[in-house]
Amino acid sequence: MTGRVCRACGSTDIELDAARGDAVCTACGSVLEDNIIVSEVQFVENSGGGSSAVGQFVSLDGPGKTPTLGGGFHVNLGKESRAQTLQNGRRHIHHLGSQLQLNQHCLDTAFIFFKMAVNKSLTRGRKMTHVIAACLYLVCRTEGTPHMLLDLSDLLQVNVYVLGKTFLLLARELCINAPAIDPCLYIPRFAHLLEFGEKNHEVSMTALRLLQCMKRDWMHTGRRPSGLCGAALLVAARMHDFRRTVKEVISVVKVCESTLRKRLTEFEDTPTSQLTIDEFMKIDLEGECDPPSYTAGQRKLRMKQLEQVLSKQLEEVEGEISSYQDAIEIELENSRPKARGALANLSKDGSVEDTTSSIFGEEDAEDEELEAAASHMNKDFYRELLGGGSGSSDAVEIPEEGGHPLALESLLGPLPTAASLGISDSIRECISSPNRDPNASGDGELDLSGIDDLEIDRYILNEAEARVKAELWMRENAEYLREQREKEARIAKEKELGIYKEHKPKKSCKRREPIQASTAREAIEKMLEQKKISSKINYSVLRDLNSKGLDSPQRDDIRPTEKGSAKKLSWRRVVACRSGADPGTSVGKRLRPLVSTLPAKKAALGEAAFLNSPALGPELARPAAVLVESGPVSYQSEEVADEDDADEDDGEPCISALKMLGNNAYGCDGDDDDGF
Amino acid sequence: MDADSDVALDILITNVVCVFRTRCHLNLRKIALEGANVIYKRDVGKVLMKLRKPRITATIWSSGKIICTGATSEEEAKFGARRLARSLQKLGFQVIFTDFKVVNVLAVCNMPFEIRLPEFTKNNRPHASYEPELHPAVCYRIKSLRATLQIFSTGSITVTGNLLCYCCGQIYPFVFESR
Repeated sequence: MTGRVCRACGSTDIELDAARGDAVCTACGSVLEDNIIVSEVQFVENSGGGSSAVGQFVSLDGPGKTPTLGGGFHVNLGKESRAQTLQNGRRHIHHLGSQLQLNQHCLDTAFIFFKMAVNKSLTRGRKMTHVIAACLYLVCRTEGTPHMLLDLSDLLQVNVYVLGKTFLLLARELCINAPAIDPCLYIPRFAHLLEFGEKNHEVSMTALRLLQCMKRDWMHTGRRPSGLCGAALLVAARMHDFRRTVKEVISVVKVCESTLRKRLTEFEDTPTSQLTIDEFMKIDLEGECDPPSYTAGQRKLRMKQLEQVLSKQLEEVEGEISSYQDAIEIELENSRPKARGALANLSKDGSVEDTTSSIFGEEDAEDEELEAAASHMNKDFYRELLGGGSGSSDAVEIPEEGGHPLALESLLGPLPTAASLGISDSIRECISSPNRDPNASGDGELDLSGIDDLEIDRYILNEAEARVKAELWMRENAEYLREQREKEARIAKEKELGIYKEHKPKKSCKRREPIQASTAREAIEKMLEQKKISSKINYSVLRDLNSKGLDSPQRDDIRPTEKGSAKKLSWRRVVACRSGADPGTSVGKRLRPLVSTLPAKKAALGEAAFLNSPALGPELARPAAVLVESGPVSYQSEEVADEDDADEDDGEPCISALKMLGNNAYGCDGDDDDGF
Repeated sequence: MDADSDVALDILITNVVCVFRTRCHLNLRKIALEGANVIYKRDVGKVLMKLRKPRITATIWSSGKIICTGATSEEEAKFGARRLARSLQKLGFQVIFTDFKVVNVLAVCNMPFEIRLPEFTKNNRPHASYEPELHPAVCYRIKSLRATLQIFSTGSITVTGNLLCYCCGQIYPFVFESR
């Protein structure tokens, strides 16, 4: 019963006859419907006497296959872009999945993931192979198959971390919690590859138990499961008298040799390793161990403490030595009047600043690189020594000189450590305290308090040094400079030949102030004020945009290359800025429903116009052949010229206008590598 | 630096990243030739200048934008940035120190216990993501504070973002559950 009311008498008692296809009112007898379309299953009798249902299976994924009347045309002809994407995806999934030996159920699940991803536009800006690999790996994880991300990356020859990033994003966006990978899953697979023959099962069992011990002993958190598997299998194999070398295991498990060794040593540290084979089979140790990195950290701490103690002792020893040195120096003072000043200052345990400034005068007082100071002091000290020592006998000189390097270094040993700490702290204090007082950011003037000009002066090289540095840099970057010169030469040659095509580097979209406008027309006008205008657009038609609805676009007027490139830009901009400038999209949206396919591109151009960088000057003085790109839309002249400039400047592969005309407004296949 | 309710956890700031602008165009070539502590990367168009006193590395672009990294505290970052501007001034550019902003802060915090990562991930599903094949730590993102924490099984946590102390305080109870 349809629940309808009869038109003539108002009764609700209506009888539907499916056989005749009529709806008749039983009260007054008027026929309400004739030839009703029914949705019933019909059966046809076969030649053998059985009956089968009439009908065709239609695919859920799209409009379905068009019947190929004239033979096999290309399968993708005449389908929507979305269907094409899905079909391509399905094909890739099957191709990859069969290489991984995944069953049909997994492949179907992967295809469902892929569909979800396409619906959420996660395929945009990513290579489709990456997305497909991520879908497949997601299925592997949820099903628990022993496939590693490494396998997938091997097949595709893609960096595993790139795949991992895509996979993580996919899992997050689809809100799918992939269960954590368990190394136990990999054991049967690797065991099979290592060919244990009959004892395969036993070895696997042993390896599993080993893994459980490892887990208990905190060896498995944060580690690659394959590495743990490798170690467990190696030990299990040895336990059952199988000879498997490290190299064999590595080739199966795909970890590095050093990793395997490390795991083995860590396992050695656990108490489980102390058991014999029989004991291991019977007993299960209950206690837990700390994770190896934790023990390593503790060991480091202990080493540090030891070092500190040692250094303290060293200091004490050095203190003794320095007292001896002092005695020697006093003697020297008596013998060498020239060096007295230096020595006297040195023997003082005062701050290094005074000594440096007094002796040399060039070094900055606040130089914290006391090694440099030390080396300077060494040099000058030797000079002074030699100068002073020429007077006395050689025999006295040499041991004293021999003694002095030691003296200096041991002197400077404890000195810098104490002095550097003392100095830097005090300096920082006195510098930072005036810092806190002055205003934070406000006026923009550079606050000079506490900044030491002298030190900064040292950063600036004088002329000779600058020349040396320039030469060094030239030599270092000779390759790059040569390439630049060749490039310039090439450009010059092309210019001569007249085929010069300038490839400007990509300019990023500049965000403009959003245009506040109440109607589409106002928005367009304001945008036109902002943007420079192009000669290609029929402006009178633009003004009529709001007034009437648009008819089918005039395609004949379009010059394929230029318009194609303009469309390409608009296309790219649309894709890139889909999440971006709202007024742009709102205007675009207002424009878009008014127009059909081609004008949709034009509207996208309108969007693009917002987003083009204003820096593009009206380079091309195109002849004012005002071109109607799409019937009603008209802009001012230079706009499209700018967009064309940007297009040519970008040097992306041009999609032909025809192809763009064939696609719908939303059918973007993720071919654009825009990034996200 | 900051104490928790039960235990005193010290949070060490290891890196502070900040940006500022000199509102003038900088000639990178001149800086590269006359500075003693600069590396000129011409192919990318920037100059790296390293200062010793607050140990920072600054990336200088010719537009006047400067990114300064390596400082161990915010005051130090500001101080270093000002020093940098002063040295540029000495080289002859008309530098105005504006728009100083701390962009990112990295800190390390140590928990006194170990953490079971798989259990932790299961309990904190949407925020935490753990991929042992790729990285040994769990990556925990707090969207409200725009911070990312990397949680290792030894109990050390690396935090990047702003408002660090608050993040550490937030994560402590979760982590405590999965010790």
